[in-house]
Amino acid sequence: MVASCQSSSIPAFPLFGEPTPVPGQPNPVFSKENQVEEGKKARIIVVDDEALIAETVVEILKDEGFEAAGVSTGTSAIELARDWRPDIVLSDVILPGLNGIEIGIRIREMFPSCRIILFSGQAATLDLLEKAREQGHTFDILAKPVKPEQLVRLIRAQSNRPS
Amino acid sequence: MIRLKDSLSRKLTAMNMLVSAGALLLASVVFFGYELTTYRTNLIANRMTEAEIIGANSVSPLIFNDPKAVEGTLAALRASRHITYAAIYTVAGHFFAGYSRDQKPSRALPLPAFELGEESRNWFEHGEFALLQTIQFQGKPVGVVYIRSDLGAIYDRLKGYGIILLAIMGMSLIAALALSRLAQRAISAPIVNLANTARHISRDKDYSVRAAITRDHDEVALLIRAFNEMLLEIEKRDGALQDRERQFRTLADSIPQLAWMAEPSGELFWYNHRWYEFTGTSPEEMAGWGWRAVHDPEMLGAVLIKWRESLATGKPFDMIFPLRGKDGTYRQFLTLALPVRNAQGEVVRWFGTNTDMTDQQRSEEALRRTEKLAATGRLAASIAHEINNPLEAVTNLVYLARKQPANAQKYLELADQELDRIAQITKNTLGFYRDTDAPHEVDISRVLEEVLTLYARKIRFKKITVRSEYGGEIKTLGYSGEIRQVFANLISNAIEALAENGKLRIRASKIAGNNGSGHAGVRITFMDNGTGIPLADQKKIFEPFYTTKKDTGTGLGLWLTLQLVEKHHGQLRLRSSAEPGRTWTAFSVFLPQHGETTKI
Repeated sequence: MVASCQSSSIPAFPLFGEPTPVPGQPNPVFSKENQVEEGKKARIIVVDDEALIAETVVEILKDEGFEAAGVSTGTSAIELARDWRPDIVLSDVILPGLNGIEIGIRIREMFPSCRIILFSGQAATLDLLEKAREQGHTFDILAKPVKPEQLVRLIRAQSNRPS
Repeated sequence: MIRLKDSLSRKLTAMNMLVSAGALLLASVVFFGYELTTYRTNLIANRMTEAEIIGANSVSPLIFNDPKAVEGTLAALRASRHITYAAIYTVAGHFFAGYSRDQKPSRALPLPAFELGEESRNWFEHGEFALLQTIQFQGKPVGVVYIRSDLGAIYDRLKGYGIILLAIMGMSLIAALALSRLAQRAISAPIVNLANTARHISRDKDYSVRAAITRDHDEVALLIRAFNEMLLEIEKRDGALQDRERQFRTLADSIPQLAWMAEPSGELFWYNHRWYEFTGTSPEEMAGWGWRAVHDPEMLGAVLIKWRESLATGKPFDMIFPLRGKDGTYRQFLTLALPVRNAQGEVVRWFGTNTDMTDQQRSEEALRRTEKLAATGRLAASIAHEINNPLEAVTNLVYLARKQPANAQKYLELADQELDRIAQITKNTLGFYRDTDAPHEVDISRVLEEVLTLYARKIRFKKITVRSEYGGEIKTLGYSGEIRQVFANLISNAIEALAENGKLRIRASKIAGNNGSGHAGVRITFMDNGTGIPLADQKKIFEPFYTTKKDTGTGLGLWLTLQLVEKHHGQLRLRSSAEPGRTWTAFSVFLPQHGETTKI
């Protein structure tokens, strides 16, 4: 299921059977430009083990002019983030392997300026968030299902906010 | 006072009398014998002397044939009172002269045959003594003296002795009586006193009484002391027994149960206060088989059969049945009765308690409802999550279809597929809520599949391999909603216990009725290689509120599971190993074919 349009190392989803290159950007894997500059399009990693959700969110964000890539696991998300230096990570909380909170903590360690937005459909995630808060990690959380308009508004607000 | 037919003192008196009379008699016999012999010797000697004197005085008259002179001599014999007859006979044997005490003139008695060669001969005849003696002069016999005397002297003496003997006998009787009086005071009286005390104690059950101690140091005193010591022991034991009895009554009345005791025959002879309080009955009404009056007539038959069976076999009695309270309403009681056995192992009585189960049954029912509600809540959350994901996708796809009209067709088709998925989930999970009053045919394979669908996401997260070993038609009668609940609980527990990449094996098969276990039915086994359950926990996990998942569990899941299985008259078996490196757990559910269920 890992077949990317850009590179085999970027575990993006084959959306609608066609490769979807990130418009106006060189292949992030080979990009030496890792700094996010002001005025540039925000880079977003979408993490959800439900492929269809990840793919559709990526498509919506691209449609709004963001750079976006989808992955299904926390490990792939961290790998991609290391090379691609995202501005925002949008992740489901309950995931096989690393959960959304753990992904958020790891990526924040690497890029303190990166914003983490979590979304979840399970009440049980509140306990996980509470635990994380006790350890000093706070995250924004959206409840599933997230309205696309709402999501876009939030992303826009986040990406325009000075780091 | 004890009346004795044969008292000890009387025996002692008799003995005294016998001994003294015997001794006296023996002495008398010896004395009389001696007296008789002495008298006889003296008599013979006296008569012979008299005969010689008479003979010597008669020589001349015989020679000179002068009987008158002899008669004069003989008349002097009148002084000897006992001589009845004395006579002189000539050598030829003719009467010469004589003396007779009683006859005057003297009548001559014929001379008994006598050889003159003999000097003297004497004998006793007709109560008289007779003596013949030859009278000699110058070596030649000149005549014969014949003297007879009565034995009045000896009789006189014997009479005298007899009077003395009687007097002694009388005196010794008085002495014996006096002695026995003394004996009674010394021996009999303390013993009778002791016996009276013993009787008084056994009649009044007053063990504080003591027998009077005598001043003597004899066997009777020893007996009394031993008796008093025994009384002290009995008093102590009696006191301890009464303490126990009081403790038992207090205990029996303090427990919340009704309690009772029964004879081995099944008749009840004792109840605690709570029994009378609850039933509003009196001891008279409840005596014997009176307890039947407070039973539900519909259940009484079954109770009696079971009770008689326990009485016959001596096996503990254990049954739940209703008892009628004084307000006329029945309450359910768990009744337990144990046999009390003696040292020989025979049942001497039964001890039973009735525990009111109504409140417990109600609270259990409340617990069941709570857990069913909690389970429903968990299920609802799970379903919401299952639906939220496709819903999220649909929302996104609709948004994209609107934004990109060119690709709208593709997006909407995908949205349609997701909506189908939602429909499938609702259809599958609807079964959890739909339940009818009557048991119906349940397709075990289908229920298992539906439950697995529900947990598909969790299974995927943990990368659990599920091996399902069931096929064909496995059906049973029951409540599908509850069977689904049972499977959901067991599968969810297995998933909780499993680490990533764990394995869950679910096997379901039909069991034929003639396989030894007796019942036909279906067996469903859930086996995982998760953390395992330590032996110490294996019994506890079926208890309500026992949980190892403090944050998320209510501790009622397995308890409810067991209750639901038992409601179907089934069995829930657990085998597990928590041995490091080889941990696994297997829950096995057996549901019998007949589909009978108990209302819970």
